[in-house]
Amino acid sequence: MVVLAYEPGDSLAHGLDPRTKLAVQVAFAAAAFAHTTPRGLVALTALVALLLAGAATSPVGAAIAFRFALPFLIVAPILEGIVLGPPWFAVAEAAAPALASYRVLLILLVSAAYVRTTPVRESEAAIGQLVPGRPGRALAVGIALVFRFLPVLQRDLSTVRAAMHARLGTERPLRERMRIVATGGLNRAFARADRLSLALRARCFAWNPTLPALALSARDLPALALAAALAVWAAM
Amino acid sequence: MSTETEGVDLVGDEMAGNLARAALFAALMGAFAYVSFPNPLSTVPVTLQVLGVFLAGILLGPIWGAAAMVLYLAAGAVGAPVFAGGTGGIGPLLGFTAGYLWSYPLAAALVGGVVHRGLSLRDPKAASLVRLVGAMVLGTVVIYALGTVGFALVQNVGLYEAFLASAVAFIPIEAIKIAAAVGIVRSDAVTAA
Repeated sequence: MVVLAYEPGDSLAHGLDPRTKLAVQVAFAAAAFAHTTPRGLVALTALVALLLAGAATSPVGAAIAFRFALPFLIVAPILEGIVLGPPWFAVAEAAAPALASYRVLLILLVSAAYVRTTPVRESEAAIGQLVPGRPGRALAVGIALVFRFLPVLQRDLSTVRAAMHARLGTERPLRERMRIVATGGLNRAFARADRLSLALRARCFAWNPTLPALALSARDLPALALAAALAVWAAM
Repeated sequence: MSTETEGVDLVGDEMAGNLARAALFAALMGAFAYVSFPNPLSTVPVTLQVLGVFLAGILLGPIWGAAAMVLYLAAGAVGAPVFAGGTGGIGPLLGFTAGYLWSYPLAAALVGGVVHRGLSLRDPKAASLVRLVGAMVLGTVVIYALGTVGFALVQNVGLYEAFLASAVAFIPIEAIKIAAAVGIVRSDAVTAA
């Protein structure tokens, strides 16, 4: 898995309500922040292994998807451990940041399991329910539009870059290259927004649409119990 | 959830237009995360994301600029691959990038508020160079201050180490982004403002 995205499947996590999965993620993060000790992290690592297995997500694939984060996670403990003068590196100083780095890795892995097992439309419905009224509806529509237009604008930007490269744009200073790419992207994005808002109005864009019905089932109970247990453990 | 059986409650024209622009801007922010330029000061390349924060405030104004950033973060939270390196999910919003990401709506609102002198929109081309640059410098300060504090808290390191690890190699590039933003706003190339 090079880029994190939803993949259809029939794992345990695929069958859960998106709200349950969000609750587990938030409770897991709270527990990880409250118990950043070797013992706490060993317990949480075992839990992550279970959660990833329940979501049929490979930990290696998920770690690869978050590869950009790894340099930062490694650099922080090293910087904290460096001392000017012998012995040049204080293991005791670096221990706490190293535990913190590992905690962040665990949180990233759990969020990978959510992303892989939850379709966009379910997330949209969950947000529409969690945030009440018109703000929630606007948020849910906006999120769906971001998913829809992200690949389109990525292609727009790569077209602009290709055109710039063909005209020896790579020889220009960094400021000019940034200006050219951003200008092209903005013009495409605003032109698309104008057409989109016309299309939305033409199709009776309403505050009260029909989204997929979300219902908690018996399968959600163990996961909700887990979220509650993690939250209690975090508060202890 | 009960299905609505009453009449259709239409979204107004102005709201529909603003929401479309904010959503497209949020998607553009996500696309900016994939456009990387080599950073002469670090092995981690720079992306155009902070430029996107500046432009959201300047072109959409304080309210809708901040709304676009909220949409960007929310879409990322539910799994759109819009964060640096093409990642998504709640993880980056709680991890060491948390301070940076959560600062975007604040910074966009601040930049927009300074450039437009309040909540009502004015023509950003009419803003003086000092106001434009000052607004973006303020925005940069907010982003890096919150970003450094967030990195220090999450990674359990001191503020100084957090600044070294997460900020120092990127701040000089922000000056280039500010110059690029001034060029964009003052030219007639962008037709939407």
